[in-house]
Amino acid sequence: MSKIACFVEKYNFTDPREEGALQNFKLAAENQGQEFHFLFREDISDVAKYDSVFIRATTDPLNTAYVVSKTAWELGLKVIDDPESITICGNKIHQYALFEKYNVPYIPTFFLNKDELHHKKISDIFDTLGKPVVIKAPYTSFSRYVEKAACETSFRDVAKRFFKKSDVLAIQKFTPTSFDWRVGVLNNDVLYVCKYMIPKGKWKHGAKLRGKPTVIWGRTVSMKKQEIPARLREVALKACSVVGKGLYGVDIKEVDGDYVVVEVNDNPSIYAGYEDSMDHDIYQRIISYLSE
Amino acid sequence: MTVLVVSNIDLTNNLQVMKPATFLDSTIKEATLNINNEYRYLKTGYYVSMHAEILGNYVIPSCENIIDSSRTPILLLRAAKAGISTLPFVVTDSVKKITVEFGFPVILFAVNPFIYDGYKVANNKSALYRAMKSLGMNYKFAVCAQPIKGELFAVKTFLGKTTTDIDCQLQEIAEKVYKIFKIPLCKLHIQKTSDKAYLCGLQPLSKEELSEEDLQIISKEVSLISEQGEHFGV
Repeated sequence: MSKIACFVEKYNFTDPREEGALQNFKLAAENQGQEFHFLFREDISDVAKYDSVFIRATTDPLNTAYVVSKTAWELGLKVIDDPESITICGNKIHQYALFEKYNVPYIPTFFLNKDELHHKKISDIFDTLGKPVVIKAPYTSFSRYVEKAACETSFRDVAKRFFKKSDVLAIQKFTPTSFDWRVGVLNNDVLYVCKYMIPKGKWKHGAKLRGKPTVIWGRTVSMKKQEIPARLREVALKACSVVGKGLYGVDIKEVDGDYVVVEVNDNPSIYAGYEDSMDHDIYQRIISYLSE
Repeated sequence: MTVLVVSNIDLTNNLQVMKPATFLDSTIKEATLNINNEYRYLKTGYYVSMHAEILGNYVIPSCENIIDSSRTPILLLRAAKAGISTLPFVVTDSVKKITVEFGFPVILFAVNPFIYDGYKVANNKSALYRAMKSLGMNYKFAVCAQPIKGELFAVKTFLGKTTTDIDCQLQEIAEKVYKIFKIPLCKLHIQKTSDKAYLCGLQPLSKEELSEEDLQIISKEVSLISEQGEHFGV
Protein backbone atom coordinates (compact mmCIF):
# COMPACT_ATOMS: atom_id res chain seq x y z
CA MET A 1 0.00 0.00 0.00
CA SER A 2 1.34 3.43 -0.78
CA LYS A 3 0.62 6.73 0.95
CA ILE A 4 -0.31 9.62 -1.31
CA ALA A 5 -0.31 13.23 -0.14
CA CYS A 6 -2.46 15.63 -2.16
CA PHE A 7 -1.16 19.16 -1.64
CA VAL A 8 -4.06 21.61 -1.69
CA GLU A 9 -4.87 25.12 -0.55
CA LYS A 10 -8.21 26.25 0.82
CA TYR A 11 -9.26 27.74 -2.53
CA ASN A 12 -9.18 24.29 -4.13
CA PHE A 13 -12.38 23.54 -2.20
CA THR A 14 -14.35 26.69 -3.05
CA ASP A 15 -15.73 25.38 -6.34
CA PRO A 16 -17.91 22.28 -5.77
CA ARG A 17 -16.88 20.85 -9.14
CA GLU A 18 -13.23 20.98 -8.17
CA GLU A 19 -13.96 19.63 -4.72
CA GLY A 20 -15.92 16.83 -6.41
CA ALA A 21 -12.87 15.95 -8.47
CA LEU A 22 -10.64 15.94 -5.37
CA GLN A 23 -13.05 13.56 -3.63
CA ASN A 24 -12.99 11.37 -6.75
CA PHE A 25 -9.22 11.13 -6.48
CA LYS A 26 -9.51 10.12 -2.84
CA LEU A 27 -12.13 7.51 -3.68
CA ALA A 28 -10.09 6.13 -6.57
CA ALA A 29 -7.06 5.80 -4.30
CA GLU A 30 -9.01 4.03 -1.57
CA ASN A 31 -10.60 1.69 -4.09
CA GLN A 32 -7.09 0.74 -5.16
CA GLY A 33 -6.13 0.14 -1.54
CA GLN A 34 -3.94 3.26 -1.26
CA GLU A 35 -3.97 5.89 1.45
CA PHE A 36 -4.83 9.39 0.24
CA HIS A 37 -4.55 12.44 2.48
CA PHE A 38 -5.06 16.10 1.78
CA LEU A 39 -1.96 17.97 2.80
CA PHE A 40 -2.47 21.63 3.67
CA ARG A 41 0.14 24.33 3.99
CA GLU A 42 0.48 24.01 7.77
CA ASP A 43 1.45 20.34 7.46
CA ILE A 44 4.01 20.44 4.69
CA SER A 45 6.79 19.35 7.04
CA ASP A 46 5.01 15.95 6.95
CA VAL A 47 5.86 15.39 3.27
CA ALA A 48 8.56 12.91 4.24
CA LYS A 49 5.93 10.54 5.69
CA TYR A 50 4.43 9.87 2.26
CA ASP A 51 5.43 7.83 -0.79
CA SER A 52 4.16 10.28 -3.37
CA VAL A 53 2.81 13.80 -3.68
CA PHE A 54 0.06 15.04 -5.99
CA ILE A 55 -0.05 18.83 -6.18
CA ARG A 56 -3.42 20.46 -6.87
CA ALA A 57 -2.65 23.92 -5.46
CA THR A 58 -1.57 26.42 -8.12
CA THR A 59 2.07 25.91 -9.05
CA ASP A 60 4.74 28.51 -9.73
CA PRO A 61 8.49 28.41 -9.09
CA LEU A 62 7.98 31.19 -6.56
CA ASN A 63 5.17 29.82 -4.43
CA THR A 64 4.75 27.17 -1.74
CA ALA A 65 3.75 24.48 -4.26
CA TYR A 66 7.27 24.55 -5.71
CA VAL A 67 8.74 24.16 -2.23
CA VAL A 68 6.53 21.10 -1.69
CA SER A 69 7.39 19.67 -5.11
CA LYS A 70 11.14 20.13 -4.80
CA THR A 71 11.20 18.88 -1.21
CA ALA A 72 9.38 15.71 -2.27
CA TRP A 73 11.73 15.33 -5.23
CA GLU A 74 14.83 15.74 -3.04
CA LEU A 75 13.44 13.11 -0.67
CA GLY A 76 13.02 10.70 -3.59
CA LEU A 77 9.21 10.68 -3.67
CA LYS A 78 7.19 10.44 -6.84
CA VAL A 79 5.63 13.83 -7.51
CA ILE A 80 3.10 15.43 -9.87
CA ASP A 81 3.90 18.24 -10.73
CA ASP A 82 7.65 17.65 -10.59
CA PRO A 83 9.90 20.69 -10.08
CA GLU A 84 11.21 20.71 -13.64
CA SER A 85 7.71 20.69 -15.13
CA ILE A 86 6.76 23.57 -12.84
CA THR A 87 9.83 25.49 -13.99
CA ILE A 88 9.14 24.96 -17.70
CA CYS A 89 5.36 25.45 -17.57
CA GLY A 90 5.58 28.32 -15.10
CA ASN A 91 7.58 30.32 -17.61
CA LYS A 92 6.16 30.35 -21.12
CA ILE A 93 9.35 31.95 -22.49
CA HIS A 94 11.27 28.86 -21.39
CA GLN A 95 8.59 26.66 -22.91
CA TYR A 96 8.45 28.38 -26.32
CA ALA A 97 12.25 28.36 -26.51
CA LEU A 98 12.10 24.58 -26.06
CA PHE A 99 9.33 24.28 -28.69
CA GLU A 100 11.54 26.20 -31.10
CA LYS A 101 14.55 24.03 -30.33
CA TYR A 102 12.69 20.73 -30.74
CA ASN A 103 10.45 21.72 -33.69
CA VAL A 104 7.12 21.56 -31.90
CA PRO A 105 4.54 23.38 -34.06
CA TYR A 106 3.45 26.35 -31.95
CA ILE A 107 1.70 29.63 -32.43
CA PRO A 108 3.98 32.24 -34.12
CA THR A 109 5.80 33.98 -31.27
CA PHE A 110 8.36 36.72 -30.74
CA PHE A 111 10.25 37.34 -27.54
CA LEU A 112 10.43 40.97 -26.47
CA ASN A 113 13.14 42.09 -24.04
CA LYS A 114 12.54 44.98 -21.70
CA ASP A 115 15.00 47.28 -23.48
CA GLU A 116 13.44 46.61 -26.91
CA LEU A 117 10.20 48.46 -26.24
CA HIS A 118 10.66 51.07 -28.96
CA HIS A 119 8.83 52.18 -32.10
CA LYS A 120 10.90 50.24 -34.63
CA LYS A 121 10.61 46.93 -32.81
CA ILE A 122 6.88 47.34 -32.29
CA SER A 123 6.33 48.20 -35.97
CA ASP A 124 8.39 45.19 -37.01
CA ILE A 125 6.24 42.97 -34.83
CA PHE A 126 2.99 44.38 -36.26
CA ASP A 127 4.39 44.01 -39.80
CA THR A 128 5.22 40.37 -39.23
CA LEU A 129 2.33 39.19 -37.08
CA GLY A 130 -0.38 41.57 -38.25
CA LYS A 131 -2.81 43.44 -35.99
CA PRO A 132 -3.85 42.87 -33.31
CA VAL A 133 -1.18 40.81 -31.52
CA VAL A 134 -1.45 38.92 -28.26
CA ILE A 135 0.91 39.95 -25.47
CA LYS A 136 1.53 37.21 -22.95
CA ALA A 137 3.34 37.43 -19.64
CA PRO A 138 5.42 34.28 -19.08
CA TYR A 139 3.68 33.49 -15.79
CA THR A 140 0.17 33.38 -17.31
CA SER A 141 -2.42 30.93 -15.98
CA PHE A 142 -6.21 30.67 -16.16
CA SER A 143 -6.23 33.09 -19.15
CA ARG A 144 -4.81 35.86 -16.98
CA TYR A 145 -1.96 38.16 -18.12
CA VAL A 146 -2.80 37.58 -21.78
CA GLU A 147 -4.00 40.68 -23.57
CA LYS A 148 -4.58 41.94 -27.10
CA ALA A 149 -3.05 45.07 -28.57
CA ALA A 150 -3.96 46.59 -31.92
CA CYS A 151 -1.94 49.79 -31.84
CA GLU A 152 1.39 50.98 -30.50
CA THR A 153 -0.16 52.88 -27.61
CA SER A 154 -2.02 49.91 -26.20
CA PHE A 155 0.96 47.66 -26.96
CA ARG A 156 3.21 49.86 -24.85
CA ASP A 157 0.59 50.10 -22.13
CA VAL A 158 0.18 46.32 -21.76
CA ALA A 159 3.89 45.57 -22.18
CA LYS A 160 4.89 48.08 -19.51
CA ARG A 161 2.53 46.44 -17.03
CA PHE A 162 3.81 42.94 -17.76
CA PHE A 163 7.46 44.08 -17.70
CA LYS A 164 7.10 44.93 -14.01
CA LYS A 165 7.43 41.25 -13.16
CA SER A 166 9.28 39.75 -16.10
CA ASP A 167 12.12 41.16 -18.23
CA VAL A 168 10.99 39.14 -21.28
CA LEU A 169 7.49 38.81 -22.77
CA ALA A 170 5.98 36.66 -25.51
CA ILE A 171 4.23 38.40 -28.42
CA GLN A 172 1.99 36.11 -30.45
CA LYS A 173 -0.06 36.13 -33.60
CA PHE A 174 -3.74 36.74 -32.82
CA THR A 175 -5.46 33.52 -33.82
CA PRO A 176 -9.18 33.61 -33.02
CA THR A 177 -10.94 30.23 -33.04
CA SER A 178 -14.30 29.12 -31.65
CA PHE A 179 -12.57 26.70 -29.28
CA ASP A 180 -9.17 25.49 -28.05
CA TRP A 181 -8.47 21.79 -27.90
CA ARG A 182 -7.47 20.73 -24.41
CA VAL A 183 -5.62 17.41 -24.37
CA GLY A 184 -4.86 15.90 -20.97
CA VAL A 185 -1.62 13.94 -21.03
CA LEU A 186 -0.09 11.69 -18.40
CA ASN A 187 3.29 10.04 -18.81
CA ASN A 188 3.34 10.43 -22.61
CA ASP A 189 -0.18 9.10 -23.09
CA VAL A 190 -3.49 10.82 -23.73
CA LEU A 191 -5.67 10.94 -20.60
CA TYR A 192 -8.67 12.95 -21.83
CA VAL A 193 -9.68 15.24 -24.67
CA CYS A 194 -12.04 18.17 -24.63
CA LYS A 195 -12.82 21.42 -26.32
CA TYR A 196 -12.64 24.56 -24.26
CA MET A 197 -15.19 26.74 -26.01
CA ILE A 198 -14.45 30.45 -26.30
CA PRO A 199 -17.33 32.56 -24.95
CA LYS A 200 -19.27 34.30 -27.72
CA GLY A 201 -17.71 37.57 -28.83
CA LYS A 202 -14.53 36.87 -26.80
CA TRP A 203 -11.18 35.45 -27.81
CA LYS A 204 -10.00 33.44 -24.81
CA HIS A 205 -11.48 30.67 -22.68
CA GLY A 206 -11.70 32.79 -19.55
CA ALA A 207 -12.82 36.31 -20.47
CA LYS A 208 -13.96 39.37 -18.59
CA LEU A 209 -17.24 41.08 -19.33
CA ARG A 210 -16.75 44.69 -20.25
CA GLY A 211 -16.36 46.77 -17.13
CA LYS A 212 -16.89 43.86 -14.73
CA PRO A 213 -14.34 42.02 -12.63
CA THR A 214 -15.98 38.59 -12.93
CA VAL A 215 -14.52 36.13 -15.38
CA ILE A 216 -16.84 34.10 -17.57
CA TRP A 217 -15.68 30.74 -18.82
CA GLY A 218 -16.60 29.03 -22.04
CA ARG A 219 -18.22 25.61 -21.96
CA THR A 220 -16.15 22.45 -21.74
CA VAL A 221 -17.18 19.86 -24.31
CA SER A 222 -15.46 16.57 -23.76
CA MET A 223 -15.07 13.69 -26.15
CA LYS A 224 -13.85 10.12 -25.89
CA LYS A 225 -10.09 9.98 -26.08
CA GLN A 226 -10.26 7.21 -28.69
CA GLU A 227 -11.84 9.71 -31.04
CA ILE A 228 -8.96 12.16 -30.95
CA PRO A 229 -7.67 13.03 -34.44
CA ALA A 230 -4.32 11.28 -34.98
CA ARG A 231 -2.44 14.47 -35.85
CA LEU A 232 -3.80 16.26 -32.78
CA ARG A 233 -2.63 13.39 -30.59
CA GLU A 234 0.80 13.47 -32.20
CA VAL A 235 1.21 17.23 -31.71
CA ALA A 236 0.00 17.09 -28.08
CA LEU A 237 2.37 14.29 -27.14
CA LYS A 238 5.29 15.90 -28.91
CA ALA A 239 4.72 19.18 -27.03
CA CYS A 240 4.62 17.37 -23.67
CA SER A 241 7.70 15.32 -24.45
CA VAL A 242 9.86 18.46 -24.34
CA VAL A 243 8.49 19.33 -20.89
CA GLY A 244 8.57 16.02 -19.04
CA LYS A 245 6.70 12.88 -18.14
CA GLY A 246 4.10 14.23 -15.74
CA LEU A 247 0.49 15.37 -15.98
CA TYR A 248 -0.24 18.17 -18.44
CA GLY A 249 -3.08 19.98 -20.15
CA VAL A 250 -2.07 21.01 -23.66
CA ASP A 251 -3.93 23.87 -25.36
CA ILE A 252 -3.96 23.52 -29.11
CA LYS A 253 -5.60 25.56 -31.86
CA GLU A 254 -6.84 24.09 -35.09
CA VAL A 255 -5.82 26.43 -37.89
CA ASP A 256 -6.40 25.65 -41.58
CA GLY A 257 -6.70 21.94 -40.89
CA ASP A 258 -3.49 21.69 -38.89
CA TYR A 259 -2.69 22.01 -35.22
CA VAL A 260 -0.54 24.55 -33.40
CA VAL A 261 0.29 24.44 -29.72
CA VAL A 262 -0.75 27.44 -27.65
CA GLU A 263 0.84 26.16 -24.46
CA VAL A 264 1.45 23.17 -22.22
CA ASN A 265 0.17 23.62 -18.68
CA ASP A 266 1.26 21.67 -15.66
CA ASN A 267 -1.33 21.36 -12.87
CA PRO A 268 -4.24 21.20 -15.38
CA SER A 269 -7.78 21.84 -14.14
CA ILE A 270 -9.77 18.70 -13.42
CA TYR A 271 -13.40 19.40 -12.52
CA ALA A 272 -15.98 16.71 -11.83
CA GLY A 273 -18.40 16.51 -14.75
CA TYR A 274 -16.07 18.40 -17.11
CA GLU A 275 -12.70 16.99 -18.14
CA ASP A 276 -13.75 13.57 -16.80
CA SER A 277 -17.19 13.31 -18.37
CA MET A 278 -16.20 10.96 -21.22
CA ASP A 279 -13.16 9.29 -19.71
CA HIS A 280 -14.10 8.36 -16.17
CA ASP A 281 -10.84 6.51 -15.61
CA ILE A 282 -8.67 9.62 -15.33
CA TYR A 283 -8.73 9.46 -11.52
CA GLN A 284 -7.67 5.81 -11.41
CA ARG A 285 -4.92 6.35 -13.97
CA ILE A 286 -3.39 9.28 -12.10
CA ILE A 287 -3.55 7.39 -8.80
CA SER A 288 -1.99 4.28 -10.39
CA TYR A 289 0.80 6.42 -11.80
CA LEU A 290 1.45 7.94 -8.37
CA SER A 291 1.50 4.61 -6.58
CA GLU A 292 3.48 2.63 -9.14
CA MET B 1 38.37 25.79 -23.38
CA THR B 2 36.86 29.23 -23.88
CA VAL B 3 34.33 30.61 -21.46
CA LEU B 4 31.89 33.29 -22.49
CA VAL B 5 31.43 35.87 -19.75
CA VAL B 6 28.07 37.64 -19.75
CA SER B 7 27.87 40.43 -17.22
CA ASN B 8 25.66 43.35 -16.28
CA ILE B 9 28.49 44.70 -14.13
CA ASP B 10 31.49 46.64 -15.40
CA LEU B 11 34.48 44.51 -14.54
CA THR B 12 38.09 45.69 -14.39
CA ASN B 13 41.24 44.18 -15.97
CA ASN B 14 40.29 44.21 -19.65
CA LEU B 15 38.04 41.19 -19.54
CA GLN B 16 36.08 40.29 -22.64
CA VAL B 17 32.54 40.66 -21.42
CA MET B 18 29.22 40.52 -23.24
CA LYS B 19 26.14 42.46 -22.15
CA PRO B 20 23.09 40.36 -21.22
CA ALA B 21 20.91 41.93 -23.96
CA THR B 22 23.50 41.07 -26.63
CA PHE B 23 23.74 37.50 -25.41
CA LEU B 24 19.95 37.06 -25.33
CA ASP B 25 19.86 37.96 -29.04
CA SER B 26 22.71 35.61 -29.91
CA THR B 27 23.10 31.89 -30.49
CA ILE B 28 26.64 31.51 -29.17
CA LYS B 29 27.41 27.97 -28.14
CA GLU B 30 30.05 28.22 -25.46
CA ALA B 31 30.34 27.48 -21.76
CA THR B 32 28.76 30.53 -20.16
CA LEU B 33 29.55 32.37 -16.97
CA ASN B 34 26.63 34.59 -16.07
CA ILE B 35 27.69 37.44 -13.79
CA ASN B 36 24.84 39.55 -12.44
CA ASN B 37 24.25 41.29 -9.14
CA GLU B 38 20.87 39.58 -8.95
CA TYR B 39 19.57 36.32 -10.37
CA ARG B 40 15.93 36.90 -9.57
CA TYR B 41 13.45 34.63 -11.30
CA LEU B 42 12.02 36.31 -14.45
CA LYS B 43 14.68 39.02 -14.37
CA THR B 44 17.50 39.35 -16.91
CA GLY B 45 20.00 37.42 -14.77
CA TYR B 46 17.64 34.44 -14.87
CA TYR B 47 16.92 34.71 -18.60
CA VAL B 48 20.63 34.70 -19.44
CA SER B 49 21.03 31.32 -17.74
CA MET B 50 17.83 30.05 -19.33
CA HIS B 51 18.96 31.12 -22.80
CA ALA B 52 22.33 29.44 -22.29
CA GLU B 53 20.64 26.21 -21.19
CA ILE B 54 18.33 26.20 -24.20
CA LEU B 55 21.39 26.62 -26.43
CA GLY B 56 22.83 23.57 -24.71
CA ASN B 57 25.64 25.53 -23.04
CA TYR B 58 27.03 24.58 -19.68
CA VAL B 59 26.17 27.62 -17.61
CA ILE B 60 26.96 28.99 -14.18
CA PRO B 61 24.52 29.36 -12.49
CA SER B 62 21.85 26.91 -13.70
CA CYS B 63 18.16 27.85 -13.68
CA GLU B 64 17.48 25.09 -11.18
CA ASN B 65 20.06 26.46 -8.77
CA ILE B 66 18.81 30.02 -9.23
CA ILE B 67 15.29 29.00 -8.23
CA ASP B 68 16.31 26.62 -5.45
CA SER B 69 18.80 28.95 -3.78
CA SER B 70 16.23 31.74 -3.54
CA ARG B 71 13.62 29.48 -1.92
CA THR B 72 14.93 29.36 1.64
CA PRO B 73 13.45 25.94 2.57
CA ILE B 74 14.99 24.32 -0.52
CA LEU B 75 18.30 26.13 0.02
CA LEU B 76 18.46 24.74 3.56
CA LEU B 77 17.34 21.26 2.57
CA ARG B 78 19.90 20.88 -0.20
CA ALA B 79 22.66 22.56 1.84
CA ALA B 80 22.05 20.23 4.80
CA LYS B 81 22.07 17.23 2.48
CA ALA B 82 25.52 18.30 1.27
CA GLY B 83 26.89 18.61 4.80
CA ILE B 84 26.52 22.34 5.52
CA SER B 85 25.35 23.16 9.05
CA THR B 86 21.82 24.50 9.15
CA LEU B 87 19.23 24.93 11.89
CA PRO B 88 15.80 23.30 11.83
CA PHE B 89 13.14 25.26 9.93
CA VAL B 90 9.40 25.23 9.34
CA VAL B 91 7.38 26.55 6.42
CA THR B 92 4.06 27.74 7.74
CA ASP B 93 1.56 30.57 8.06
CA SER B 94 0.80 29.67 11.67
CA VAL B 95 2.21 31.79 14.51
CA LYS B 96 1.41 28.99 16.95
CA LYS B 97 3.44 26.43 15.04
CA ILE B 98 6.52 28.66 15.15
CA THR B 99 6.22 29.45 18.87
CA VAL B 100 5.65 25.77 19.74
CA GLU B 101 8.58 24.58 17.61
CA PHE B 102 11.16 27.26 18.35
CA GLY B 103 10.06 29.85 20.94
CA PHE B 104 11.98 33.14 20.57
CA PRO B 105 13.91 34.70 19.00
CA VAL B 106 13.21 33.49 15.46
CA ILE B 107 14.29 34.65 12.00
CA LEU B 108 11.74 34.68 9.16
CA PHE B 109 12.24 34.64 5.40
CA ALA B 110 9.43 35.19 2.89
CA VAL B 111 8.28 32.34 0.62
CA ASN B 112 6.17 34.18 -1.97
CA PRO B 113 6.48 35.57 -5.49
CA PHE B 114 6.93 39.19 -4.45
CA ILE B 115 9.48 39.55 -1.64
CA TYR B 116 13.02 38.58 -2.57
CA ASP B 117 15.11 40.55 -0.14
CA GLY B 118 15.43 41.03 3.60
CA TYR B 119 14.14 39.09 6.56
CA LYS B 120 12.52 39.75 9.93
CA VAL B 121 13.62 38.82 13.41
CA ALA B 122 10.93 38.39 16.08
CA ASN B 123 11.71 38.44 19.79
CA ASN B 124 8.15 38.13 21.07
CA LYS B 125 4.67 37.16 19.99
CA SER B 126 3.46 40.57 18.83
CA ALA B 127 6.60 41.08 16.75
CA LEU B 128 6.04 37.62 15.27
CA TYR B 129 2.45 38.49 14.30
CA ARG B 130 3.65 41.69 12.64
CA ALA B 131 6.45 39.87 10.81
CA MET B 132 4.12 37.13 9.58
CA LYS B 133 1.63 39.72 8.41
CA SER B 134 4.21 41.63 6.40
CA LEU B 135 6.27 38.70 5.01
CA GLY B 136 3.16 36.62 4.43
CA MET B 137 1.47 39.59 2.72
CA ASN B 138 -1.45 39.64 5.11
CA TYR B 139 -1.21 35.90 5.90
CA LYS B 140 -1.77 35.00 2.26
CA PHE B 141 1.57 33.20 1.98
CA ALA B 142 3.68 30.96 4.19
CA VAL B 143 7.03 32.02 5.64
CA CYS B 144 10.14 30.04 6.49
CA ALA B 145 11.10 30.28 10.18
CA GLN B 146 14.32 29.26 11.93
CA PRO B 147 15.38 29.69 15.55
CA ILE B 148 18.11 32.21 16.35
CA LYS B 149 20.95 30.66 18.30
CA GLY B 150 23.76 33.11 17.69
CA GLU B 151 24.83 36.32 16.01
CA LEU B 152 23.64 37.08 12.46
CA PHE B 153 26.05 37.98 9.68
CA ALA B 154 25.42 39.05 6.08
CA VAL B 155 28.33 37.84 3.95
CA LYS B 156 28.87 39.03 0.38
CA THR B 157 30.13 36.12 -1.72
CA PHE B 158 31.84 36.31 -5.09
CA LEU B 159 32.32 32.97 -6.87
CA GLY B 160 32.76 31.36 -3.47
CA LYS B 161 35.21 34.00 -2.23
CA THR B 162 34.55 36.62 0.39
CA THR B 163 36.30 39.82 1.33
CA THR B 164 39.54 39.07 3.13
CA ASP B 165 38.71 40.34 6.60
CA ILE B 166 36.14 37.66 7.23
CA ASP B 167 36.00 34.92 9.84
CA CYS B 168 37.17 31.54 8.48
CA GLN B 169 34.00 29.67 9.50
CA LEU B 170 31.93 32.09 7.44
CA GLN B 171 34.39 31.82 4.56
CA GLU B 172 34.10 28.03 4.71
CA ILE B 173 30.30 28.15 4.45
CA ALA B 174 30.53 30.56 1.52
CA GLU B 175 32.83 28.15 -0.32
CA LYS B 176 30.60 25.17 0.34
CA VAL B 177 27.44 27.00 -0.70
CA TYR B 178 29.15 28.02 -3.94
CA LYS B 179 30.16 24.41 -4.60
CA ILE B 180 26.53 23.30 -4.41
CA PHE B 181 24.58 26.18 -5.93
CA LYS B 182 27.24 28.08 -7.90
CA ILE B 183 25.54 31.45 -7.54
CA PRO B 184 28.40 33.77 -8.56
CA LEU B 185 27.29 36.89 -6.70
CA CYS B 186 25.06 36.79 -3.65
CA LYS B 187 24.64 37.66 -0.04
CA LEU B 188 24.57 34.85 2.52
CA HIS B 189 22.85 35.15 5.86
CA ILE B 190 24.76 33.12 8.43
CA GLN B 191 24.34 32.64 12.18
CA LYS B 192 27.38 32.11 14.34
CA THR B 193 27.41 30.68 17.85
CA SER B 194 30.54 30.40 19.99
CA ASP B 195 31.63 27.24 18.21
CA LYS B 196 29.63 26.83 15.00
CA ALA B 197 28.25 28.67 11.97
CA TYR B 198 24.87 27.91 10.35
CA LEU B 199 23.58 28.89 6.92
CA CYS B 200 20.21 30.73 7.14
CA GLY B 201 19.52 32.28 3.75
CA LEU B 202 20.80 33.49 0.37
CA GLN B 203 19.68 36.72 -1.28
CA PRO B 204 20.63 38.93 -4.23
CA LEU B 205 22.95 41.92 -3.99
CA SER B 206 22.09 45.37 -5.20
CA LYS B 207 24.64 47.12 -7.41
CA GLU B 208 25.10 49.72 -4.68
CA GLU B 209 26.30 47.03 -2.30
CA LEU B 210 29.31 46.27 -4.51
CA SER B 211 32.40 48.20 -3.41
CA GLU B 212 35.59 48.85 -5.41
CA GLU B 213 37.28 46.03 -3.52
CA ASP B 214 34.38 43.68 -4.29
CA LEU B 215 34.61 44.48 -8.01
CA GLN B 216 38.31 43.67 -7.93
CA ILE B 217 37.70 40.30 -6.29
CA ILE B 218 34.97 39.53 -8.84
CA SER B 219 37.17 40.59 -11.77
CA LYS B 220 40.09 38.51 -10.53
CA GLU B 221 37.95 35.40 -10.06
CA VAL B 222 36.23 35.86 -13.40
CA SER B 223 39.54 36.20 -15.24
CA LEU B 224 40.87 33.05 -13.55
CA ILE B 225 37.80 31.16 -14.67
CA SER B 226 37.74 32.48 -18.20
CA GLU B 227 41.44 31.68 -18.64
CA GLN B 228 41.54 28.32 -16.94
CA GLY B 229 38.01 27.00 -17.30
CA GLU B 230 38.04 26.40 -13.56
CA HIS B 231 34.57 25.80 -11.99
CA PHE B 232 33.46 24.28 -15.28
CA GLY B 233 34.99 20.97 -14.38
CA VAL B 234 37.75 21.34 -16.95
